[in-house]
Amino acid sequence: MAAKSVINLNKVSKKYEMGEEEFYALKDVSLKINKGEFVAIIGPSGSGKSTLMHIIGLLDTPTKGQVLLKGKDISKYTETELALARNKEIGFVFQSFNLLQRTSTLDNVELPLKYAKVKKKDRIKTATEMLQLVGLGDRLHNKSNELSGGQKQRVAIARALVNDPSIILADEPTGNLDTKTGDEIIKLFKKLNKMGKTIVIVTHDEDLAKIAKKRITISDGLVVK
Amino acid sequence: MNFIDTFRTSSTAISANKVRAALTMLGVIIGVFAVVMMVALGQGAQNFITDQFEQLGSNLIFVSPGKSGVGRDPAEALTRNKLDDKHVDLIKTHANENISALSAWVSTGSTVVHKNKSYFASVSGLDYNGNEVMNYEIDKGRFLIRSEVKSKAKVAVIGKLVSEELFGQSSPIGESIKMDNNSYKVIGTFKEKGQNYDNGVIIPYTSAKSTFSIKNLSGIVIKLKEGAPVEVSMNQIKRAVSRDLNKDDFSVLSQQDILGSIQEILGMLTLAIGGIAGISLLVGGIGIMNIMLVSVTERTREIGLRKAVGATPFNIASQFLIESVLISFGGGSIGIILAFIANFAAQSFIRTEIPIWAIALAFGFSVGVGILFGTYPAIKAAKKDPIEALRYE
Repeated sequence: MAAKSVINLNKVSKKYEMGEEEFYALKDVSLKINKGEFVAIIGPSGSGKSTLMHIIGLLDTPTKGQVLLKGKDISKYTETELALARNKEIGFVFQSFNLLQRTSTLDNVELPLKYAKVKKKDRIKTATEMLQLVGLGDRLHNKSNELSGGQKQRVAIARALVNDPSIILADEPTGNLDTKTGDEIIKLFKKLNKMGKTIVIVTHDEDLAKIAKKRITISDGLVVK
Repeated sequence: MNFIDTFRTSSTAISANKVRAALTMLGVIIGVFAVVMMVALGQGAQNFITDQFEQLGSNLIFVSPGKSGVGRDPAEALTRNKLDDKHVDLIKTHANENISALSAWVSTGSTVVHKNKSYFASVSGLDYNGNEVMNYEIDKGRFLIRSEVKSKAKVAVIGKLVSEELFGQSSPIGESIKMDNNSYKVIGTFKEKGQNYDNGVIIPYTSAKSTFSIKNLSGIVIKLKEGAPVEVSMNQIKRAVSRDLNKDDFSVLSQQDILGSIQEILGMLTLAIGGIAGISLLVGGIGIMNIMLVSVTERTREIGLRKAVGATPFNIASQFLIESVLISFGGGSIGIILAFIANFAAQSFIRTEIPIWAIALAFGFSVGVGILFGTYPAIKAAKKDPIEALRYE
């Protein structure tokens, strides 16, 4: 069912040029991520999975091929159009959290809502709800540098959720965490998926990938499985 | 992101680096302070001169040698000076209608000596009614009389400063002073009136000519009757003198003309020094650009994150531009406040005045500097590739 697909890549290639040389980070990649899916994109470093993540995350556009976001071709979008689409449709979770320094958790979670021009009162309400959802309801006003790694990642997840995006895109979300904390974050992702969120995890970690219901393995710029 | 949120983001970033922001502001503070103070000094000087002229009394007309009195080569006016007593008579005979009083005027400077004390004074030779023309008020003694002028009498009326320098607190009346080895008797003193008058010595113009070997007049000073039409009177005087001289050999100027020329010169001077001070403002702006570029590089990851969660290039550019404008505007405000304080403090020994337009200009300039030097870093920030920015360590 086409209507259900959130992201649809159609023969997407990405070519990089380094001086005289050129190489393809992605070659004719076609894939589809549907609403409510829990997908893992796995592959070793240099396989092209980062490039794939950037294209799914609307941070980059392909050299060739089509990227359909909820049926709309975004491959010719301008930077501003991409930014607006990212704001609405993509929630990023990074390996190194990327919180704003010396800023309260609430302010960090509010950030995407600010760019969405949501009123302050509504921003605080939504951001508070999201922080409660990730289990940080009692840490609203702590500064980001006062939090543990696990807490930081929860703030980042709350931030990814706050605009109710079509996809949560997590890049090695447990990479900077110890096993126990990592497991908690995985549990959180599972919970969110059960609530109906579409989650895409990009990792080289086979164990992490196992929790996903669907796995896309990439190697040398090609989808191999 | 709306403007208020962007503004908050920018001000938060500034307060996160207070010392750096303060040092960056310092450049603008010094620049704005310098510009405002220079303009204040210039304006003060202009006001001073205007006041001095007004003390002379209004409706004065000057006949001076040469084509135009002010702003021309003075040497030319001196070497080609053809102005003489007979032109005074010509004016008296042919243009008397609107004239209240007039006096020939011979101007020079001389060291004035009394016993072992000496003082360099500006010496003016005038006619017996020169006090009426020039609005001089006698403090002690009397002014020159007609017979003294006629007989080239060696008598002098001296200004307050000259009196104090040569005679201290004792009365100078009846004492003698020496100028160019000629002995003059002091017959009166003037009331205090301002620097330009207080350091003057007035003697009969006839005596001035012989003592200092001056052939011609430095000018003729004419006081018009109250309410007399200035333009018409000037033309009458011009016609009277034209009976003897070519129109290139003399000029007739109203007090307003002279004041206007001096104001113009001072205005240009004020602009010039203000402009030089403006260079420091420019340097301050370069300081802002420098720091903003550092800040953009330092916050590459933050820029990447903001872009990832939906900041458009415009959002990012606004954030950094507002930051630099805040720094320059803050610096400008502090500079102006400091200038006001300095202006207030300076009042006791020098005349300064900060005109409203200088404040507006300084504010405008400081904001302009922020925009001018903040634009490049802001564009640089907006153009950062989010992928590269997120990877930046």
